[in-house]
Amino acid sequence: MKLPRLLLPLFGLLAATTVTAAPAYDFYICANINRNYVIGSKIVTTNGIFQRTDEGGWRHFGYNDTSITAVAFDPRDRNVIYTTALNGLWRSLDGGATWRICNSWDMTEGREVAVDPNAPDHVYVAFTDGIAVSTDRAQTLVRRENGLPERGKFTQTIKVDRTRAGRVLAGCEVGIFLTEDGAANWRRVHVTTDTVNDLQQSPHDPKIWVAATQSAGALISRDGGITWDRFAGVPTERALYNVTFDVTNPDRLAIGSWAHGVLATEDGGKTWTSRNAGLPENPRVWRVGVDPAGRLYASVFQETLFHSDDFGRTWHPNDLAGSLVNYFFTLPKAAN
Amino acid sequence: MKASQFFRSAPALLLAVTLSAQPSFEGPAPVVTSVPAEDQRLAAYHARVDEVLQWRAGRVDLNDIPGTMDMASISILLTLGRDIEACNERVLQMMAEPGTGPFWMFPAVCVAFTGRELLSPEARASIREAWRTTRQLRGDTENHWVMYYASLYLMSELYPNEPAETWYTGRSSEENLAEAREWLIHWMDTTTTVGQGEFNTTHYIGEYAIPMLFMATWAKDPAMKLRGRMMLDWMFAELATVSLNGVLRGPNARSDEGSVIERWNALASYFSWLLFGNTPPPSGYGGWGLYFAPVAKNYVLPEVIHRIAVERDGDYVQRDRARTRRFWRYSDVLSPPVYKTNYLRHDYAVGSTQGIVNDVIQAHVWDVTWREEDPRGKHPTMFSLHPHSSGRMMQAQFATYPEPMPVGVTFEGKPSYDSPDKVLGGSPYEKVFQDLDTVIALYDIAPGERFEHINGFFSKDLRDVTEDASGWIFARGGNAFLAYRPLAPYHWIPYLHYNGGWATVRDDLGGRVLTSPHLKNGTIVQAAGADEFESFEAFKAAMRALPLEFTLEPVPSVRFTTLRGKNVAFTYGEAPVVDGVPVDYSKWKLFEGPYLNAEVGGRKLTVTHGRLQRVLDFNTLTVKDSVRE
Repeated sequence: MKLPRLLLPLFGLLAATTVTAAPAYDFYICANINRNYVIGSKIVTTNGIFQRTDEGGWRHFGYNDTSITAVAFDPRDRNVIYTTALNGLWRSLDGGATWRICNSWDMTEGREVAVDPNAPDHVYVAFTDGIAVSTDRAQTLVRRENGLPERGKFTQTIKVDRTRAGRVLAGCEVGIFLTEDGAANWRRVHVTTDTVNDLQQSPHDPKIWVAATQSAGALISRDGGITWDRFAGVPTERALYNVTFDVTNPDRLAIGSWAHGVLATEDGGKTWTSRNAGLPENPRVWRVGVDPAGRLYASVFQETLFHSDDFGRTWHPNDLAGSLVNYFFTLPKAAN
Repeated sequence: MKASQFFRSAPALLLAVTLSAQPSFEGPAPVVTSVPAEDQRLAAYHARVDEVLQWRAGRVDLNDIPGTMDMASISILLTLGRDIEACNERVLQMMAEPGTGPFWMFPAVCVAFTGRELLSPEARASIREAWRTTRQLRGDTENHWVMYYASLYLMSELYPNEPAETWYTGRSSEENLAEAREWLIHWMDTTTTVGQGEFNTTHYIGEYAIPMLFMATWAKDPAMKLRGRMMLDWMFAELATVSLNGVLRGPNARSDEGSVIERWNALASYFSWLLFGNTPPPSGYGGWGLYFAPVAKNYVLPEVIHRIAVERDGDYVQRDRARTRRFWRYSDVLSPPVYKTNYLRHDYAVGSTQGIVNDVIQAHVWDVTWREEDPRGKHPTMFSLHPHSSGRMMQAQFATYPEPMPVGVTFEGKPSYDSPDKVLGGSPYEKVFQDLDTVIALYDIAPGERFEHINGFFSKDLRDVTEDASGWIFARGGNAFLAYRPLAPYHWIPYLHYNGGWATVRDDLGGRVLTSPHLKNGTIVQAAGADEFESFEAFKAAMRALPLEFTLEPVPSVRFTTLRGKNVAFTYGEAPVVDGVPVDYSKWKLFEGPYLNAEVGGRKLTVTHGRLQRVLDFNTLTVKDSVRE
């Protein structure tokens, strides 16, 4: 219990820490860099998990997999890695050297994976047709969908509340669902008419959650995901793909959207502005992410990864030409 | 289309494959005959198999091994026992850079098994090592999974008792085998109870037939071996039943631009040629067809299926049931049922699916296709469709966002998807009814849809096309008379063809597209045999005399007395009514017709021709042949 507790206030620590030249975190992305790959074609590039090096480059590790969608780590042991991908859920126990497929054939197309920091043997997985849970580090994976609808449980995103074991939010086709008992029971806390694409818990205040949706704009909850309000300044007519907090500044959030590019707020969501200057024309933004130093990243669909050090006012090509970044992930730097 | 993608990485090889002489492809069209003597049928089949083997083996240039040897040619050379050293060399080269996913897996299985006693230990070890080092994607469609799990099954049997760390899955041979076996049986159960999702596919048929032949040939477990053979019988019985002179026509769960126009030009024709001998094979024997050939002699087509393909007693209706691709979103059911109607006559056939759109990108919902003695280069077909393109339907069937796929798939082997003049694909705004050789297709397109019109395909091979003052468009196709009634004003545009999944320019092959830019719309097509009328004029007169009432508001609705005397009433979104009786699709069987019969949920198919009968019973894993006295 002690070790997880040390890691629990991850984002709080990051937020409170002045970023130094030797950052105390690791920053990962999951990227597909094989433009227009289809099943059957040859993979000609390296895809999968990349870790940012201290020099600012990207180091690939683990399998070459074009279909990776998300990554999670066991907070007790950085060598235990989980990824979701087309085949489902993969797990490595040796830092990515070898992997095991964890799901049975009736689970496919993993969308996101989350490890409970307060119960690190517990792993939650979002699938195209629902939610599966492991209580043994993904050695076994079973569906836990009591309370989810029979239809409408396409689950794009799943996140564990870092404040309490077994408290998990899931973004599905028909709304946001909450469990407080490790997925034994789910209840819908917010109804949507289309998919909830992303959920994020604030690194500054764990009661604050935000959601990016396909047709309901961006939502905020100030009571731990129980009730939700719409950000008035965010358009609703087109899909929002993801949302991110800035761990260095509680008033900053950014949204990635194919139609709108990058939307940003620096006043806690009261006003939102388009931040696309320097990105390709009509940027088809796939994901945005903020590293713990406050650098904002935007993955533009099959273009390259861009970064901004002024929260989107100006953008600069970063690296990974032809890439599609599916996931940004931050962890405290691994101990040597 | 996947074949094109596969070969794109080896253009020199493709060039060598397509430009060389191919006897049956280049020779005269076969004369369709029933061959009652089993030894003669088998000899003719083996001769066709040998033609494929010899042709492909002859394309190998030992001075250019990388440019002329793929895994198909390696497998064929191994089957023929030739050039083993070259095979060893090429295997080592290819396994140094393994592919990913089912389209690499099953060719690799073919090499592994045909070479298990001939390849060098180093070459065999390189294949085995590739199955440790390279992650294989399972894919996201039914055919992907059939290839994936059949391949994983066979490799796990070939290398039993090997630990988890020696497989890319991180699971032991036994764990892989158990998972693969479980899914394969699940798929067979599903197919034999509620139908196949990718039914009557013009190209994907190979992606089922080849893995099943591999199972039937190489599975050690006798039950799985028998299951493979039974599934081959099941699929080929259906191919025989719904093809016209060897040509698979619509409906097709999935097809492509080439084969919905030039109906013969499909991998399905390779199987018709190889198994039934009733149509020429496509160029290069269909590409993937080369993987069937090395082990084709391990399958013997039952006589009853042969006779269905080449010896028909007369006109017949086959009404069947299938299911859609999985709907992850926007549907109350994961794989809703679809209902197939096929009416086949000597000179033409009419087919359609009723129900929900089964595949958003590649479905071909209905057509009238007429017989051509030599189908090569002919476009013997007529149909209409709503050219639907939307992110929402993509999201329904794929784990994606609304924007990227409609354009993205045009770079992924489906070039026409977002084209307004396309002639391929399903639409949620199309409802179709068929009674014998009458089709009524109604459209109620939502305002704001990307394309607010419908397209009708008019072939270059139609003759005497006449836009009649009555509103009917009359035409002759082969020995069929055709009447096409647009229900809303239209204009003509040229038909421009995407020649293959990776085409970037379009070819004018002749033919026109009837475009009708109206949201509420419809098409009625009536076909008839030329021999039923004294003249084309007599057919026109008969059609003009048929009672027809229709309205487009508030929704399209037609009342029509067909050429066959049926009083048909069909309103968009409602059950069609025939002679006062609503059609109840829920009562349709899995197969119902003179040749194929099966109950929903039955796991049993009865294949009948004349006095011959074969029963494929997946409940008991038995195959029972009988002859009526």
